[in-house]
Amino acid sequence: MALEFKNHPKWESDPDLGMGRELMTRQRRAQLFHTLKISLVWVALVALLGVGLLGLRFDPAYAAEHYMFVLQGAGTTIGVSLASIVFATVLALLGALGRLSRNAIAQGVSGFYVSIIRGSPLLIQIYIIYLGLPQVGRQLDTMGFTQMGRLLTLTAIQSGILALSLNYGAYMAEIFRAGIQSIGHGQREAALSIGMSNWQILRRIILPQAIRIIIPDIGNQFIAMQKDSAQVSVMGIWEITYRANRFARQDSKFMEMFLVAAGSYWILTIISSWLESGLERRMARAYER
Amino acid sequence: MNGNAIIHVEALHKWFGLLHVLRGISFSVAPQEVLVMIGRSGSGKSTLLRCLNFLEEPSAGSITIAGHSVTVGPGVRLDRRKIVTMRLNTGMVFQEFNLFAHMTALENVIEGLITVKKVPRNQAIAMGEQYLEKVGLRDKRDVHPIRLSGGQKQRVAIARALAMEPKVMLFDEPTSALDPELIGEVLDVMKQLAREGTTMVVVTHEMSFACDVADRIIYVDQGVIVEEGTPEQIVSCAQDERTRAFLEPLRKVQHI
Repeated sequence: MALEFKNHPKWESDPDLGMGRELMTRQRRAQLFHTLKISLVWVALVALLGVGLLGLRFDPAYAAEHYMFVLQGAGTTIGVSLASIVFATVLALLGALGRLSRNAIAQGVSGFYVSIIRGSPLLIQIYIIYLGLPQVGRQLDTMGFTQMGRLLTLTAIQSGILALSLNYGAYMAEIFRAGIQSIGHGQREAALSIGMSNWQILRRIILPQAIRIIIPDIGNQFIAMQKDSAQVSVMGIWEITYRANRFARQDSKFMEMFLVAAGSYWILTIISSWLESGLERRMARAYER
Repeated sequence: MNGNAIIHVEALHKWFGLLHVLRGISFSVAPQEVLVMIGRSGSGKSTLLRCLNFLEEPSAGSITIAGHSVTVGPGVRLDRRKIVTMRLNTGMVFQEFNLFAHMTALENVIEGLITVKKVPRNQAIAMGEQYLEKVGLRDKRDVHPIRLSGGQKQRVAIARALAMEPKVMLFDEPTSALDPELIGEVLDVMKQLAREGTTMVVVTHEMSFACDVADRIIYVDQGVIVEEGTPEQIVSCAQDERTRAFLEPLRKVQHI
């Protein structure tokens, strides 16, 4: 609509066009100036932090010497998070469908899943999966179920991915449910009126529209997960936190190493949010084109 | 008329909780007839229309459309396949259009052909273009609903319903959500359908449309049919006081 207005002959021949142009330029300049001021505040805050730390006998040389060692854990952090967000998305979709279903079993199972997972800390879930399950496995082993027993003994990485997937799947189930419910009832009625089945409506009408709404939330969860993945360090997985912790304790350089770790996570999340907003824009384009 | 009626409704009741919205309604529609339902908001006319294709589940009564019957009542379980048959025999046009927002005009029209009727894609596209042509929107085939005007949206929605080739078309206040200058284009399409002999049940407040096109008008109030007759009988010499009271204020604004 706006584009049509631009080419309107009246608009082209408006004698006061100069006034509009000047107002627009002024507005843009003010906007730019404001952005600049915000950047200056950021720079000032970083400088203040740096000066403060140096004044308190912070050892930048030590941090510079060991930051590569910490950054080498970024691959593991990203790998664990990526695998977990994929599994969590699948679990979340199933959980949401279960909660929205009319089937009593599906409703009960998904409600129970969401409730117990949200009801306990991630750290405890990691312990249960990594340390608790093998105990059950050994018991099954002595009872003769060797295969099943072995299945319950997971490596640290497997345990970490399973715990993060289960945990985030439960929280994201609620996001998926809200996304699905946000699609107007009229869409469903129109689909019913042309004879579509519930499954067809979900797959062809509801989910394609809901995904668009959910994408920013999935991105947000992914960012949160990268940082929660620090908790898998308790199993001795060599990701960012574990590596930072090693040197920090060994040389009592806590501030140095944990700031390096924090900075690494920060960079990861900045990259992730770039990627996420790019994806969001692309989906919006596909929608309007 | 009951002998060859294409729609026959018998003693239809609808309860919302303890609210008795439809109180034992019976009526028939003959093939190629245009039946207009009028009444105040909350009278039950929209609910009645939505019961015909089971978007609203009737509480009791029986509905026959094109030879297929469904009878419901307390403790009777609905047969899902029968309901789908009823829906395929009826095309529905909604007040709020309800076009699938993520699909182009053409994709909206062919969705049912492809997923429900399993028509091969090429054939479905050809049919879809034909129906868009019928509502005068062939040039908008690749446009998403967000870029269409209200009138255009409603015409695409009519094409989508027609593409399924239903026996009966149901219209639920098809022009109530439109700006005044866009109402005409939708009514024109509906008039064209009426001329072609489409059986139509229309809930509307457009009295001049009703006078021009309807074979019969039903006035619904508090869940019962108060009065029915030809447009002349209803508009010029309504017998019931409630019908006259409903029509009186409309006369001034709609020039009937």
